[in-house]
Amino acid sequence: MIAIVYKLIPHLLSWFCIVLVLLRCFSVRRSVIMIAGISGFICGVADSAVLFRFFSASTSYAVIKSALGASFFLFWTIAVVAVYRSGERSTTVSSRARWFDSSFSAGVISAFIAIVSGAICACRIPVVDSGALTYAVPVLAAISLAYASLCIEKRISVSFKAAPLGAFAAVVALLLFSSSSLPRLDLFSPLSMKVMKGVHDFVHQFMESILIPDHLFVKPIVWKYIGLLFGKEVGFWGGIIIWFTPVLLIALAIGSARLPSVAHIRQGAQRRKLLAAAIREQRLQLVIPFFSIVIFAGAAYQSSFPSVEYWDPTPVAVTANQAGEIFIPKTGEINLEDGKLHKYLFKQGTREARFFILLGPDGQLTVDLDACAICKPDGYGQADGAVLCYYCKTLIPLETVGKPGGCNPVPISFIEKGDGVAIDGITLINSWVSTVQATTRVTEGGK
Amino acid sequence: MAASIIETTGLTRSYGDICALKPLDLLVPEGEWLSVMGHSGSGKSTFMNLVGGLDRPTSGSLQVGGENLLALSEDGLARFRREFVGIIFQQHHLVPYLTAVENVMMAQYFHSVPDEAEARFALERVGLGHRLKNRPGELSGGEQQRVCIARAIINSPKLLLGDEPTGNLDHKSTIMVMELLKELRAEENFTVIMVTHNQEVAAWGDRTIYLDDGILVREERLVKTDEG
Amino acid sequence: MKRLLRIMLAVGSSRAVPPVVIGLFFVFYIGVAFFTDETLITLMAFTRRSVILAAILALIPLNSLFRLVSETIRQRDVSRIFSGKTLSGMAELCDDVVELPPCRIPDIEGRLAAVGYNTRRIGSTVSAWRGVGLFPARLLFLAGTFCLFTGILVSTTTKSAQRQMVTEGEPFPTPNGVGGIVERIILAQSTGLFLKRTLTMEVAASDYGTGKKTFGLYPPGLYDGAFVYPRYLGLTLHFRFSAPDLPTEYETSYSLNAYPPGKEDSVAIPDSPYRIVFSVPVPDVGEELYVSYLTDTVTLQFKLLKGKDVLFTGTAPRGGEFVRDGYRLSLPDIRRLVVTDFISDYGVLFIWWSALLFAVAVCIWLPVRLFLPRRLMVFRSDDTGAVACSLAEGGMRKHAGVFHELLDFVDAKNKGGKDDCQ
Repeated sequence: MIAIVYKLIPHLLSWFCIVLVLLRCFSVRRSVIMIAGISGFICGVADSAVLFRFFSASTSYAVIKSALGASFFLFWTIAVVAVYRSGERSTTVSSRARWFDSSFSAGVISAFIAIVSGAICACRIPVVDSGALTYAVPVLAAISLAYASLCIEKRISVSFKAAPLGAFAAVVALLLFSSSSLPRLDLFSPLSMKVMKGVHDFVHQFMESILIPDHLFVKPIVWKYIGLLFGKEVGFWGGIIIWFTPVLLIALAIGSARLPSVAHIRQGAQRRKLLAAAIREQRLQLVIPFFSIVIFAGAAYQSSFPSVEYWDPTPVAVTANQAGEIFIPKTGEINLEDGKLHKYLFKQGTREARFFILLGPDGQLTVDLDACAICKPDGYGQADGAVLCYYCKTLIPLETVGKPGGCNPVPISFIEKGDGVAIDGITLINSWVSTVQATTRVTEGGK
Repeated sequence: MAASIIETTGLTRSYGDICALKPLDLLVPEGEWLSVMGHSGSGKSTFMNLVGGLDRPTSGSLQVGGENLLALSEDGLARFRREFVGIIFQQHHLVPYLTAVENVMMAQYFHSVPDEAEARFALERVGLGHRLKNRPGELSGGEQQRVCIARAIINSPKLLLGDEPTGNLDHKSTIMVMELLKELRAEENFTVIMVTHNQEVAAWGDRTIYLDDGILVREERLVKTDEG
Repeated sequence: MKRLLRIMLAVGSSRAVPPVVIGLFFVFYIGVAFFTDETLITLMAFTRRSVILAAILALIPLNSLFRLVSETIRQRDVSRIFSGKTLSGMAELCDDVVELPPCRIPDIEGRLAAVGYNTRRIGSTVSAWRGVGLFPARLLFLAGTFCLFTGILVSTTTKSAQRQMVTEGEPFPTPNGVGGIVERIILAQSTGLFLKRTLTMEVAASDYGTGKKTFGLYPPGLYDGAFVYPRYLGLTLHFRFSAPDLPTEYETSYSLNAYPPGKEDSVAIPDSPYRIVFSVPVPDVGEELYVSYLTDTVTLQFKLLKGKDVLFTGTAPRGGEFVRDGYRLSLPDIRRLVVTDFISDYGVLFIWWSALLFAVAVCIWLPVRLFLPRRLMVFRSDDTGAVACSLAEGGMRKHAGVFHELLDFVDAKNKGGKDDCQ
């Protein structure tokens, strides 16, 4: 139980801050926020419990991750709209603003956020052997923290306002921070991987589109710079740009909002006073977006350096018999059927291949290269319910290990022979060489 | 009869055992030019500091522009000084490495936000349109004091306090500064409280009060002729 | 009808169109990414096939055109307001509009000139301006956006490419037939900023009326309506091979994918167990990798295989012959070859133009916005009243300060001297 509570800390801390931000954003609707928020959180915990009990872990994580992805996408959309509208001078309260100020909208928004928050929190609770009491822990903690938020919020100066844009940035940042401590809910690493692939695709297409000469004609130093666009770092930095841009856009939208027109006032001091008040309010509104930047950075850091320890055994050297067959017994020093990933190294002359054997959740053994068809062969580590590609940080659910494609480990054909597993050495080496050659060429910037 | 901008009842200020201002009852109507005279240590500056929100009274009541200064917090008092009061001292207290216009803009900055055009205009009003980019060291005493006036009026104060503003000036400059203050008061309609030793300077006011040992001992209302 | 046209113009010229369309394609991209790793190529293929997607993409260049028109009209209206010709649309087009009581505008030109404004008084109107307008840069930006997205649209929907071998001494292949004879292919070292080597293909005049042409690397030349895009280098090898167990000598020409040196390419001898693996030897360390292609002095390495067994290996120059144990391999001719894509894509022209337009737009926008932004104000009075308005494309706070002070000045004059008033 203590271990669970310990694991819940980042999620509950995020929840506490979310409630605080929501209360300040809808400061005239505190009771609505409290009721909708707490109910939503309980609902989220219950949803998560039901999902994990009746659907596979992959499906359950996918549902919650989709909600997070949708929130982030919505955040991007709102940020772009905010920037586009920032130059306009608002003279009347729009119907959108009136809707936003209503109890209904405050309740709906808070409930949705609380559901996602509760669902993320409940992902920390192991499905097996968890009774209602275990789920009561996060719920009770969340209720207490919500009331603590309420007390603190009431003590914060009224001049410190949370503009809806800034509040939304903070809430999304906190949800992503909460989810980033769970590798299977993390968005940053998969985003970086997708960016890496996207940039690779885009640069390749762009160069072909505008008929740029191939690398044999281009100076190595120039090609080296072009090659940077194909590297892992581009994924990371591209991910960082996508990660932080919406919150920066929101800060930009707040910062570049038009100051009130004071030209009709015929006293300079009064004009300046009004402008100073507007500037002060604008600066105060920037506090929450800047706080959100820190939270986004924390989420990206947690994602890049997860506290999860991966099972990554040292590869055991194996040899082939005269027929070129590698035979690995199921039991002995290593038990192939213990559900853990077991790595091996096969050498033939100057060539070598690294592979692993794993018993999947379906009870079937699978033999795969310790490399995928896309990334550099940095190999895989095993965490709860998934293996992770060390190069691009993609999590591959154990259910899909053994299936080809994408960032999955490249599967190798093998024969299960009663007490062991037999693999053809030449097939293994050829597969490794072709995979590694292809991925090395890609990552080194070849077209 | 104009409404009072300053109302004091039993206003007292003591420093330990020394009572710098003894219970003072005074009304200053809005727009009046009040000269405060008295010898050194008579409580003139103490009185000015109290009405300007630079100091707090020991007892009594002090209403300035409808604000009870005794009830204001430190922040409130700072806001009061920023928005309500303009002060001109005998020493100009200009920042030596800033130009005239920058010195005025600094007062704007502490009030709200700087506005160069407005600062230039204020200096033009005090006759320094040609000295905008000069530093205080490059200005004469009279010009320096005119920069101080521009600085004091830039935030449109309701109350302008002068503590011997012409104390360091020659006769000609004194006349120029006083003429300027008179013109500005006519345009802006602010109330002036001018602490001075100089009977001639005091005569520019509508009324003169005399303090002696912290006590208001005499009051003179000046009858203006058309020639001033 | 007019109303409909106005609505169409408003929607078409809305600033929201480009982000909405880009966002939509981004959503499609994310959707496609769930199913394939070749996301961009798949999305491009979808756009090529789907009229709806192409039409959605076409909204961006259309929007740019609409905006070109609407912003030009807007600019004209702004000019009219600030030259004092009209008052209509002031509230929408100006930063500040202030109405004043009826009054003659006093002499403010001197004050404006003192802070760097140019002024003009026509009748009861005083106009003031300083700096340079950003409108030309904006026009160039919109034209660039039009060209970029038109280019992408044209390229995505109409591009076709054919890969051909351009060989010395052979007719120049084109998508629509053949051109003149390729007289020479010249690979040379380059000391340019970006290129290490240059490639020139000289093509003689053809019988179909095409004159003598020379194709370089960049910008790629056009031939018969297609861009000539050299991709890789290779060799066309003419060889004869005979073996003791083969009834006849085998003779063929083969396009060898032999570069970079060391790369192996093999030719299988039909109806036999023989296979010959050719490669260009890797030059010594420090020597130019493509020296054989540069100097046209190729000596090929070869390896004769019978099934999986290597029978012998050797080297032979152009015109050389290798004979052993009844086997005979001769290389009467080796010619240089360039693997070339012939790309029919007029979108690329638009993309190049867009790059140029964007570059010029940025070169104008940045210095103007930073150092010389346009600032305008106008004071106008008539019997019904006076009005003042201002607009700034940069340096807004300072400009607003000047405007406010002038308003104060006009107001003071108005109050102070009734004889100034009408």
